[in-house]
Amino acid sequence: MNTNSSVHTVTAVSGGHDIKTTLGQLSRRPEAGSLLGLIAVFVFFALLGGKVFLSSAGYASWLNVAAEIGIVALPIGLLMIAGEMDLSIGAVIPAASLTVAIVSGHYGFPEAVGILAGLGVGLIVGFINGYAVNRSGVPSLIVTIGSMFSVMGLTLGLTVLIAGSTGVSLVPSPTTKAFLGQFIGGMFQVTILWWALFVAGFFYLLHVLPVGNWIFALGGDKVSARNAGIPTERLTISLYMLSGFCAAFVGVSQVMVYQSAQVLAGQSFIFNSIMCVVIGGVLLTGGAGSVVGIVFGTLTFAIVNQGIYFTGIDPNLGSVIIGALLLLAVMMNDKFRVMAMSYVAKKK
Amino acid sequence: MNGISIGRVMRRPEFGAALSFAAVIAFYVAFGGVSLGTLFGAASWVNFAANLGIVALPVGLLMIAGELDISIGAMIPAGSMTIAILSGYYELPIVVGILGALGFGVLVGLVNGFLAVRTTVPSLIITLGTLVAVQGLVLAGSVILTGAASVPLEAPAWAKLVFGQLINGKFQVIILWWFALTAVFGFVLHATRYGNWIFAMGGDEVSARNAGIPTDRLRITLFVLSSTAATFVGMCGAILFNSAQVSGGMNYIFNTIVSIVVGGVLLTGGFGSVAGIFLGALTFAVVNQGIYFTDIDRNWSNLIIGVMLMAAVLMNNSFRRMALSFAPKKRK
Repeated sequence: MNTNSSVHTVTAVSGGHDIKTTLGQLSRRPEAGSLLGLIAVFVFFALLGGKVFLSSAGYASWLNVAAEIGIVALPIGLLMIAGEMDLSIGAVIPAASLTVAIVSGHYGFPEAVGILAGLGVGLIVGFINGYAVNRSGVPSLIVTIGSMFSVMGLTLGLTVLIAGSTGVSLVPSPTTKAFLGQFIGGMFQVTILWWALFVAGFFYLLHVLPVGNWIFALGGDKVSARNAGIPTERLTISLYMLSGFCAAFVGVSQVMVYQSAQVLAGQSFIFNSIMCVVIGGVLLTGGAGSVVGIVFGTLTFAIVNQGIYFTGIDPNLGSVIIGALLLLAVMMNDKFRVMAMSYVAKKK
Repeated sequence: MNGISIGRVMRRPEFGAALSFAAVIAFYVAFGGVSLGTLFGAASWVNFAANLGIVALPVGLLMIAGELDISIGAMIPAGSMTIAILSGYYELPIVVGILGALGFGVLVGLVNGFLAVRTTVPSLIITLGTLVAVQGLVLAGSVILTGAASVPLEAPAWAKLVFGQLINGKFQVIILWWFALTAVFGFVLHATRYGNWIFAMGGDEVSARNAGIPTDRLRITLFVLSSTAATFVGMCGAILFNSAQVSGGMNYIFNTIVSIVVGGVLLTGGFGSVAGIFLGALTFAVVNQGIYFTDIDRNWSNLIIGVMLMAAVLMNNSFRRMALSFAPKKRK
């Protein structure tokens, strides 16, 4: 109910008193389909998983997963709304965690330095991505595959060179652990709170600030956006730096939670984040989407991914559900978008 | 006269790929201390190239037509599991297993193709959906049916000879399949009207359809080809190694895209060549496997691939601009 009303406040700007119009408006919002999917999935697993799924341990299991993917999915969603992609996050996450672990764990620098270095890695990779996308005119899919391989190779090579192994451990101090790696109540990762913070920030950015309109304009029609005076190149670079930063943040918090960094973590984030964003109703070709939708999409993904363990179903079938859900979401969004585009308000 | 023919060679899509191939070998010889005799006598990277190349061919054609197929990452293990479950676990004749594996490829390809034709959803997202779904199906299917994630398979001698033989004890027979398929794909793309259709579709789909090209049928055919090729590779692997594993295959997604792009195919469609795709797979394999023959730590190979991809893309971009803006000089 709570989520419903928050959606409504967004739409209420154009405000119709008629309930029918309001419902119609709701169903044309980008997140309408993802909300339905979320409710359906939640009810499905609540019925099958029973008490355990609805206990706080159940909530913790999928919220922890949702928080980590969610922080990455937000900037990926923004990039997708702007008509771009970023696959390099799969390499940035381990790169950032290894940077923290090497700087603070291996060399013994203060943790603040390590964390800043880790986040810096994300910003640098993001800047390079944005710059290369602007300059080369090559599709961002290819550019970020290139940077993904490069960052992966650099991370592997340098880690083995410096630390002599592909895993580096780090024991965080109590304060850092409390901020980034704590388990609240013994099961809820503190990352969930960070995710909530990121969601609020991104919501403000996309739906309140003028920059948000710029992002939609960029994804809708790049040339017109530039002609309208939007600094498209700076915007693209900023968005890539944002996604690099968020990926690095997840990497840093992973070190604090698991107390060690592995070279080959993070690959799964690439496709998982794209799926969350698409289930959340963002159009891959740009120009449509919402932060609320991305959050719904992430929650849906996490519930399916984790909820399956609370049922008697073979866990591997969870990915079949996700695949089907993805295709369904995409087709439904297709329908809703056509409805939204062709909608004409009835004359009174 | 000579200058013009050099220009013509440089404007071919595969020129960049040939250059990258030579550059990587030169780099390994200069900095890795590798001897050419050892490298070219070694089977590991040719085997790798053949497995990659067979998948890269149809995916490259899809890319020329302006589409993408990443579900191949799940189709390779799906192919090997299908034949192993049918012919290994249930002990059906090997022909049934082979047909089952290829049939499963055709089926998923049809699903991909129909969804791509019927919806306006980008094929990246469609095949991402089938990728995840097939992955789950294969994992769950093998666990439910056989109770294990790895299934043994004893193939009869003739099947081993055709699909899973080691020539000279080290070269997989799939290399010959790769050569043959490259020839077939090269003929189809560059010598038949279907090839022109594919280029036309990738260049401008609406105009292609208006010109009478059956774009829907063509697109479905291409998706069927790519997922069937992937199950073929998985099937050959199962016959060769006498067992099928559920994992593996995900690496193929990025590896094929990289080798196709290095091979000079334009991701947005309408430009590319089979020779380029062939050379791209070869180049990727040299970087990825050839590094074991050098003094360079193998962990750096990903960095080389990343840098090579960027270099190839930028190079291809400028060659393409040359090709598109080229006008032959008028004779006086």
